[in-house]
Amino acid sequence: MDVVREVLDKPVVDRNGREMGRADGIVLAIGDGQPPRLEAILIGPVVLGRRLHPSIGRLVGALERWLGLGANRPVRVEFGDIEMIGQKVKVRLAVGDTGADEVERRLRRWVIRLPGSR
Amino acid sequence: MKKIFNLALGIVTSIGGFVEVGSISTAAQAGSEFGFSLLWAIAIASLFLAALAEMAGRIAAVGKRSMAAAVRERFGFHFQVIPLGAELIIDVLLLTAELGGAAIAVKMLTEIGFQWWILPIGLAVWLVIWLGNFSVIEDGVGLLGMVTLSFVVSAWRLHPQVASLAHGFIPTIPHHDLTRYAFLSVSIVGATVSPYLLNFYASGALEEKWTEQDLWVNRLTAYLGMGFGSTVAMGCLVTAAIVLGPQHIKVDSYEEAARMFVPVFGRWAVTLFALSLGIGCFGAAVEITLNAGYVLGQAFGWTWGIDKPRREVSRFVTALSVVLLLAVLIALSGWDPLQVTLISVALTVVIMPIIVLPFLVLMNEEEYVKGHTSGPIGNGLLAVLTILGAIMALIVIPLEIFGG
Repeated sequence: MDVVREVLDKPVVDRNGREMGRADGIVLAIGDGQPPRLEAILIGPVVLGRRLHPSIGRLVGALERWLGLGANRPVRVEFGDIEMIGQKVKVRLAVGDTGADEVERRLRRWVIRLPGSR
Repeated sequence: MKKIFNLALGIVTSIGGFVEVGSISTAAQAGSEFGFSLLWAIAIASLFLAALAEMAGRIAAVGKRSMAAAVRERFGFHFQVIPLGAELIIDVLLLTAELGGAAIAVKMLTEIGFQWWILPIGLAVWLVIWLGNFSVIEDGVGLLGMVTLSFVVSAWRLHPQVASLAHGFIPTIPHHDLTRYAFLSVSIVGATVSPYLLNFYASGALEEKWTEQDLWVNRLTAYLGMGFGSTVAMGCLVTAAIVLGPQHIKVDSYEEAARMFVPVFGRWAVTLFALSLGIGCFGAAVEITLNAGYVLGQAFGWTWGIDKPRREVSRFVTALSVVLLLAVLIALSGWDPLQVTLISVALTVVIMPIIVLPFLVLMNEEEYVKGHTSGPIGNGLLAVLTILGAIMALIVIPLEIFGG
């Protein structure tokens, strides 16, 4: 399987079909004489920034820390937690148990104060 | 029956959505300075827009992805960051221009300075999005947009000569001001083939859950809707050519452009022009704001959609609100809306090749369109547009300096 093409940048959904983001990065295990093996998927803007340039990754990381976002970012989904890889990557986790929706939850606290937010 | 009704509605909304600050100002300038001779530019640009919209709709209906999503998945974030960044910058600039256009329209009706209207109009755009759903927004904008048919009525009533109209559809080299002519033709293409329209169209298809069964609706909506929409822009050009041209009025402001309605509509001229401009710009402002949320949500994999409860799409509504706020602030800082329009149109032309090139690949891959890949005509059209786009991108900056 061409891991990069099949997984990288695909949308990731949790076991209830809720969006967790996209596979912003992947961790590969490279053994002697064996094809690379998918070890984990990474989700989070820090990983995206790093892909463009390490310094952009550091900048995004500093911004996240300044905003007080949790230490569980970027989100790491282990290979064993992946249920299926198709048009989307479906994982066996629940988005609420990961840091993937931390920004969404933070903003929701503000959004629900406005009338008509339901 | 319901399908036919939806189709008709889709076409009507495309007409209403077609007219906005860029198409009115470029068509008015082209008509007043070069008569009918730039009609071909509107025709070609509309054909390209229709073809691209149809393709974006096809990927949405068959591949269940918007352009922003498909580009990221097929080409990776490294590539996407360029069109994504460019589209966001253009979105903000164009939104600034649309807010300015709408504010000038209200100013024409009330005689109160346009700066005072930016904030209320921005707030109104936000409220429409916050309180509306997709069909309310699309149909409301589209139906109100029918007032822009005044341009067609006006052109009709001025009885343009059929022969000289037909001549306008054949590109010719003008006897004077060649750089200005080239600049305006490139501007018309940039104002017509807006990237926001494509992604908005595809996102609408996703919001309305189109399937492969809707492909014929998609084809008809794209071609007929954009086709009829282009007649409004052509109506504007023809009216400007007949009314403003002989008086040697160059359109430097929207107030001057409004004079084109005087011969046909008399004392209603300013009101009708202001309504056409105002509703066209307001509708476009709503669509551009929504599109900013769509593009970001799709690129980063957030939950998005205007038909979902706002609390479930907090990032989406926050993102589009921030973009709107940014545009309101720029508009308030006192930039001339007409200048901002021309800058965003030029930028659109510069990034055209990177917007079009992905289509050429995606439309030929079964992962995105299954068996509905493009035939030789579709591919040929895209290839022409890519090459044309690359040429225009190279010449637009010098043209902007010498012809603008």
